[in-house]
Formats: sequence, structure tokens, C-alpha cells
Amino acid sequence: MSTALAARPAPPPVQQPPRRPGVLRRIGGLRHTSPGRLQLLIAVLVALGLLSGLVAGVAGASARAGTDDLGDRAQPLLIEAEAIYSALADADTTAAQAFLAGGLEPAALTRRYDADLERATTALTSAARRTEENGRAADAVRALSAGVATYAELVATARANNRQGKPVGASYLSEASRLNRETLQPQARALFDSAQAEVDDGYGRAGAAGWMALLLFSLLGLLIALALTQRYLSRRTHRTFNVPLLLATALTLVFTIGAISIMVSQQTRLDRAANQGSGPLASIAESRILALTARGDEALTLAARAGSGPYEEDFDKVVARLTQERGPMVNSYDQLDWQLGQQMNRASQQFKAYVAAHKQVRTLDNSGQYDRAVDLAIGTATTNQFESARQFLDQALENRKAFFTDEIDAAGNGLGLLTVLGPLLALAVCVLAFAGLRARLEEYR
Amino acid sequence: MRIRALLAVTALAATTALAGCSGDTGGLTTDTTQAGDTSVTEAPQAERAPAPACNPRASLRPAATLPTPGDMPAGSYMEEIQKRGRLVLGTSQDTLLFSSRNPFTGQIEGFDVDMGRQIAEAIFGDADKIQIKVIAYDKRVSSAADGSVDIVADTMTANCDRWRDVNFSSIYYEAGQKVLVSKDSKAKSIEDLGGKKVCSAAGSTSFENIGKVRSKPVAVAKPAFGDCLVAFQRNEVDGISTDDTILAGMAAQDPYAKVIGDKFTEEPYAMAMSNKHPEFARFVNAVLERNRADGTWKSTYERWLGDFGAAPAPPKAQYK
Repeated sequence: MSTALAARPAPPPVQQPPRRPGVLRRIGGLRHTSPGRLQLLIAVLVALGLLSGLVAGVAGASARAGTDDLGDRAQPLLIEAEAIYSALADADTTAAQAFLAGGLEPAALTRRYDADLERATTALTSAARRTEENGRAADAVRALSAGVATYAELVATARANNRQGKPVGASYLSEASRLNRETLQPQARALFDSAQAEVDDGYGRAGAAGWMALLLFSLLGLLIALALTQRYLSRRTHRTFNVPLLLATALTLVFTIGAISIMVSQQTRLDRAANQGSGPLASIAESRILALTARGDEALTLAARAGSGPYEEDFDKVVARLTQERGPMVNSYDQLDWQLGQQMNRASQQFKAYVAAHKQVRTLDNSGQYDRAVDLAIGTATTNQFESARQFLDQALENRKAFFTDEIDAAGNGLGLLTVLGPLLALAVCVLAFAGLRARLEEYR
Repeated sequence: MRIRALLAVTALAATTALAGCSGDTGGLTTDTTQAGDTSVTEAPQAERAPAPACNPRASLRPAATLPTPGDMPAGSYMEEIQKRGRLVLGTSQDTLLFSSRNPFTGQIEGFDVDMGRQIAEAIFGDADKIQIKVIAYDKRVSSAADGSVDIVADTMTANCDRWRDVNFSSIYYEAGQKVLVSKDSKAKSIEDLGGKKVCSAAGSTSFENIGKVRSKPVAVAKPAFGDCLVAFQRNEVDGISTDDTILAGMAAQDPYAKVIGDKFTEEPYAMAMSNKHPEFARFVNAVLERNRADGTWKSTYERWLGDFGAAPAPPKAQYK
């Protein structure tokens, strides 16, 4: 350092802004001597190397955290929100069907209702763990927890009254159904929507685009700096090649290519997870919720015993949506996966068969044959048609869940490598660059 | 005073409707109405000029003889019903003893349903040719008027206001409003419930009558009386006020409830029909006339209301 400073010629005053601080002036002055330039080059290369290493570590860790959050929290939250929603819708339907059956509640329906309630409360507990303490999702979870308890209590009272032959049981059931449809299901919908938004945000965070861009820029800068340094050295010295610097360049190239390929692979996986996983998953989930809503509408129309009313209008709306081309149920799912296409086709066919049976139910009810309408609606044939549609939807949902999990796991691959190896490689580049330039610098001593 | 009462009612109805923001639901027992509808249903009645004084008990005079079942006079509304193959009866499914769903069988039964079945019997010779359509309390007048049901038998009071929209049959039951409270309540009559919440079905005369009580109880509207009992059992309201017979059906389901006080209104029950078919009202009156005479009315009373004592004499028919 002292050598460089001693060799420094007095800078012409015109080149200096009058109030430049001393340190900057001294560093600025370095470029006028050969050893000074070498020192500057060392500083630039080491700085760029350290920056690249640091950014690689941060980018890798941040993308890793984002990907894990997406796979372990946001996406499961979406699935749980759907589970809560569909369990509530199914519980409402089951309770109404048990009411329609008359007399003692059929054991199968009791079991199904209990299973629905258990599914809803279990999903609610894990959803509570996955939501932030404040915000829309947390509000929805709180409202649902309180509401589900009240709902269960109302249904239990309805059963107790029904068991004793008291007609007020039906009124309790109707109160429970109102609570379910007008308060709980909208809250479950809100939870589902906010989970959906979190998944969308999650893809952004998992991409860690800002850090990745910064990493690319610093690596590019490092490469250019290395290239320019070597050109400068080969011109100023008689050596064409500087082995440590060449090695550093090679390492930086490997680093860059590795980082780019990890990024590209991660982004590709994320895109696949989003477009072929989360997207279709949300549509299938919507189909299942809508199908369950339709089945509930049917039971409630019959339970209200007032002919085709508002629930039947809702049924028509739901069916229109589910049979719509390029809608949530009828879509080109086969382009994503052959098996998924089959499952959704069958679900759609079975649902259409169920809708045909429902039309018959309405015809019977509207022509005054209420008892036959009820028998047909809750009878084995219609139930099987509906349940089969629902099972295909369940399978399709599992299919996409598995796809998503695979893609997210694969997206996480290499990020750990980037986090750990990135800084190490950068450090090696720094050491090599320093070694390469120090040898030249020594020549001036 | 009347306006203040109405406002209180509207505010309450709005609170009870809070749960129902999504719009298209009502639950199991009633589907078309929500609690929130009450504020709306009150309004047109309030806007309308008061009905001219009339004798609500006076119906259309029946023909001397009834046509043979299955052979209704050509061109009559009864013939239309006969061609359709069933009588459509509008009623409720949660008014124990009058029309409620039997939890064991799933069938709707009661005094009112039997009234309808007797009309079906007279038309078809088969009481089972009846379709029961559950209607909300505040849709009773409109359902009869617009023909969505043939006849309404649903603890419905004949009054002059309703006479403007529908034809009533002659009176088949004389009820009167009372109030149901918790067993440990010290209230002796509805006058002691000033400021307390008292529930009734939206669109019922009972609901309007609560607003007329001097001590000013707070009237709470629910879609149906069953919902009032639920609200009472969940401590949302302090009492339920409606016709003594409906209250008796509730007290029978809740050992912690009691019915207090004397009847403070007269509620003559009649069946409502569209006023486009006066011949149908005359026919129904003829059936009622016959049933009063041949003991059918008495046996129907004993079947459903026998627990409250021996059958009184059936209400005497009055005609215009």
C-alpha cells in the first residue's frame, strides 16, 4: 500500500472536485499506477465474489423457505379449507336426508354426519396452525370454530327431540341448516379464497425473483470483471495466461451455469405445480363443493316441502356451472394427465346421471307424489349415482394433490446446493483471484 | 305509538335477519321466508287503508246439497281439482296438533290437515288425494290468492283485512291468543311482559297483536312457530305469544314451559281460498256444515285436541 501511495503522482487539480473526501480521493488516485490498478482489481473481484456468494446463499435460502412454505403451509391450507367447506356442506345434506328418511335416523347417515363433523373439526384444527394470527384467514378460522360448535349442538338437540317424537326437532334442524348455509359455509368459502390467495403469493415467494436476478447480475459482473482483468494482465505482462484467474473464471462459469440451471429447473417445476397442480386442484375442489351443494339443495327442497323453491333455483345454477364447457368439471383435464381425464369424465357422466334422477324427483314432487319423490331422492340408486360422481372427484383431487407434491418437492431440489455450495464457490473464486493478482503485485515490491 | 312499535319490530327483524345475508335460504321447515321478511310484510299492511268493518265470521252460503264425490259439477273449480287428481293444501309442518310433521312417520298431520283431508274426501271420495305444500306464515294469504295452493288450512284467522284478498270458509275453530313463558316466570299475563322479548311467526295476526299490548313487549318475528320454540329454548326470547292451541302444542313438547293468562283476542280459524272461485268456498262450507252435523268435526277435535277436555260444540256457521 505504501509503495503505491509513494509512487502516486500529484493529480491535476482540475480532475478533482474540490471537496472529495480523502479516502475516496486516495482510492480514485490508485488507478493511475500499475500496482494501484492491481489493488483495485483485487478489491473489485473479491467484492464481486463475496457479493455473489452472499446473494447465492440468501437467494437459495429464501427460495427454499418460499417453496417449503408453499408446499407445507399454503397448499395444505387450501386443501383443508376445501375439506372444511365440503364436510360442512355434506353434514348439512346428511342431516336433511336423515330428516327426510323419517323415524329413527338411519345408522349409515348418522355415521356419515359424525365423520363429516370430525373431518371439519380436524381440518379446522390444522388450518388454525397454518394461518397467521391476524387477517382474513384467521378470522374465518375463529368464526368457524365457534360456529361449528353451535352447529353440532343444534343438530344434537334436533336429534334428541326427534328421538322423543317432538316436532320441534325439525325446527332445530332448520336452525342448524340456516347456520351452516348462511354463516359457516360463507366463512369456509372466505378461508378457501384467502388460502387460494396465499398459494398465489406463495409462488411469488418461492420464485424469489429479486434475489435470483441479483445473483445473476453479480455473477455476470464477476465474469466480466475476471475477463477484463485477464485481458489487462495479458497486455501489461508477458504472460498470456494467469492460471489462478483462469481457474477462478472456470469456477465462476460453473457457478453461473449451475445457478441458472437450478433456477430454470425450479421455475419450471413451480410453473408446472401452479398450472397443472394448484390450478386444476382448485377447480376440482370447486366441482366437489358445487356437487355437494346441489345434493344439499335437493334434500332441503324436499324437507321444506313447499314444491320447487329457491333451493331448486340454486340447484339449477349449480348444474349449469358444472355442465358448462371449460368450467370447473367439464374441461380438458385429459391434456394434463390421461388418468385425471378419465376420472373427471366419469365424474361428469355420473353427475349427469344424478341430475337426470333429480329431474325425476322434481317431477314426482311437483305432481304431488311427495313420498315417492323422497324415496327416489334418498334411495340407493340415486345415492349411488351421486356417491360415484363424488368418488371420482375425490380421486381426481388426490391425483392433482400427488402431482403438486411431487413438483414442489422437485422444485426444492438444488436450492440447498445453491445455499451451501454457492458461497463456498464464491469464496474459492475470491481466493483464486486474490492469488492470481497478488503474484503480479509482488513484482512491484 | 303505533309507529314506534313498528320501528322496534323492524329493528328486531333486522337483527334476527343478520344471519341470513346470502339471501336464498330458510331452512327445513320454511323455505321462502326468512326472519328478515317480516319487516317487509308489515309494510304493505300498514300502507293499506284499514279494512272496512265487516263480520269476518260470515262466509258464503253453501248449496243445499253436496255433489257426489268423484262427480264434481262441470265448470266448477272442484272439477278442475278432480281432473288434476289431487287437492293442494297449504299448511305448516311445525304446529303440533294442527299441522306438524310426525317424526316417526314423516307424515304431516293434525287438525288442520284433517280439515283439508275432509275436503279431498268430499271431492274424490279418497282423503289421500291430497298434496301438502308447506307455506310460510306470511305467505298464507298470497298462496291462496294466487292459486299456488287450492286451499289454506293453517291456524289462519279470518279477519276483514284478509277478506279483501281471499275467501274464507265458515269458522271451524275458535282460538284466542295467550302467552307461553318459562315455568319459573312470575308473569300472570302478557301485560306483565313489558319490555321483554316475545316471539311470534312473521305474518301472523298474533305477531300484530303483540304490538297492541299496552305494556309494550318487544315483538320478535321468526319464520314459523317452531322457530319461536327453538328461540325460547335457547333463551333468545322470554316468551311466545300466539293462539292458545298452538301454545298448548308447544307446552306439550317442553316441560319447562307454561301457558298463562286468559285469551286476550278472538281468533276464529277458517280455511282460505282464492276469491276467483266462490263456488269452491260454498262447496267447502257445505262440507263443513255436513261435518258439524254428522259428528266428524267432534271426532276430529277429540283426535287432536281431546287432551284439553271434552269437545265443545263446533263453531256455529254464519253466512253473508
